[in-house]
Amino acid sequence: MDPALLSVRGLRKSFGNRPVLNNVGFDVRAGELVAFLGANGSGKSTTLRCVMGIAQPDAGVVAVDGDDLAKLPWRQLQEARRRTAMIFQKIHLVPRRTALDNVCAGALARIPTGRSLSPLFFPRSIQLEALDCLDRVGLADRAFERVGRLSGGQQQRVAVARALCQRADVVLADEPVSALDPHAADQVMALLHHLAHVEKLAVAAVLHQPDLALRHADRCIGLLHGTMAFDLPSSDVGPVHLDALYAPDRVAAA
Amino acid sequence: MSEETIVRGQLPVRPKQPLRWITTAAGVAAVVVLHALAIQGTGFEPGLLVDGWKGMASFVADAFPPDLSWEKTIRPGLDATLVTLWIGLLGTTFSVPFALLLAILAARTTTPHHLAYQASRAVLSFFRAVPDIVFALIFVTAVGLGPFAGVLALICHNTGVMGKLWAESMEECDSGPQEALRTAGANRIQQVANATLPMVVPQFVGLLLYRFDVNVRSSLVLGLVGAGGIGLLINQSIKSFRFDAMVTDILIVLVLIIAVDQLSAWVRRRLAA
Ligand SMILES: Nc1ncnc2c1ncn2[C@@H]1O[C@H](COP(=O)(O)OP(=O)(O)OP(=O)(O)O)[C@@H](O)[C@H]1O
Ligand SMILES: [Mg+2]
Repeated sequence: MDPALLSVRGLRKSFGNRPVLNNVGFDVRAGELVAFLGANGSGKSTTLRCVMGIAQPDAGVVAVDGDDLAKLPWRQLQEARRRTAMIFQKIHLVPRRTALDNVCAGALARIPTGRSLSPLFFPRSIQLEALDCLDRVGLADRAFERVGRLSGGQQQRVAVARALCQRADVVLADEPVSALDPHAADQVMALLHHLAHVEKLAVAAVLHQPDLALRHADRCIGLLHGTMAFDLPSSDVGPVHLDALYAPDRVAAA
Repeated sequence: MSEETIVRGQLPVRPKQPLRWITTAAGVAAVVVLHALAIQGTGFEPGLLVDGWKGMASFVADAFPPDLSWEKTIRPGLDATLVTLWIGLLGTTFSVPFALLLAILAARTTTPHHLAYQASRAVLSFFRAVPDIVFALIFVTAVGLGPFAGVLALICHNTGVMGKLWAESMEECDSGPQEALRTAGANRIQQVANATLPMVVPQFVGLLLYRFDVNVRSSLVLGLVGAGGIGLLINQSIKSFRFDAMVTDILIVLVLIIAVDQLSAWVRRRLAA
């Protein structure tokens, strides 16, 4: 079996006195696509943010390729960050810049500082690579469009392309298909599947569509009020598990 | 899910703020007292204005009709107005590099270190606190009377004001894109150049135009203390009791101010589109 590229143990996090994560732990191996499922507010985004170091967990260990991120010296931490890419729920692109420039920005860690002051100086090779990434999400023809002028779903795909251009080994995606039409959603899921199975990356995606998760993911992790409800191969996940995840909120809403 | 039980059709009790009336009353009382002190301190007395209306009337009688002779008044007026405009322009644009650097150091979201943050905040506060007219008087002792001293003075003061405004607009802008680049392994300079700055370009240009507008008007006042331009002419007209020429100069200034205002409004509209 492939080694765990991303491994998370005992993650805890509270905001004020509201506990949000309670002992969350999981592995994502190279060549594997893992789906996170859970109701709104169950802590999926917070988990990813803790892994990325955007939020500080109260306790727990995050290791990339066996290295505990909390213990890495600054240089190696920088490299570990380069190796982990995140696709954000809120997209976080620069609306005034073109799609191509936004995708190039994913590769900034590989561009010398002097050449990254303006998109005009970005190396040609990086721009070609970015165009290639845009092509993989089906947007090569809109490369020179300002991101602010693209539709929501197109922007989401540009965000995916930016993560591709980072050439990461671990890709985390927070609802990468929430704004996509069924066809585009399938296309992006197939792309994530390809990254895992063909390019041997470790891929984890938060999804609100259990059917997409069961169809594309190798493994599903269910979060319920910040605790691990299950961590099973997709083929073992049944209606019982899904009902347990989403039922509490339905009861509250009824 | 939540701790308090919510009963349907019944509004939950709002958290109480018992001291609200007392604090409001105390606030109003404080404002009234401050105004009483201020009226005393400034000798604010409308009666004086009524009694002295004759002085104003004779002044206005001297000033009208304005002196419209081309050679003696209008042409020198136009030339001097142009100088005023140039002072305002250079004072604004030449402060851009300094303001930009200090703004990046002084914005919480972009500063490399909290010491750099504190230091640049202090520098900006200093340049903002010293009025441009004081800077002008200082520079006059170095480079002599004339427009150059005015330009230097505006550069200093404008760096302080624009640096602060720019720093604030960077702090207010959505930090998501910058965070995204940080997690992708980009260093601080790369984050600022590729996320923060492109996000705030419209605000930066808007504030720049606003400062240009203000600086053209400031350079008028600087002219009064010897920095040249139309301010100097107005000062001379007053000193030699040529109030009709002064009115002509003021009309020219009025046209200039309106033109600058229209120009900056037009550019801002284009930018927003
Ligand atoms: N910065 C924050 N400050 C306070 N509370 C927060 C913060 N971020 C998240 N929370 C709380 O943490 C809980 C989990 O939020 P999180 O964003 O992780 O949910 P999620 O599973 O991603 O939900 P969704 O499906 O709606 O995206 C929520 O109750 C939320 O209110
Ligand atoms: Mg979320």
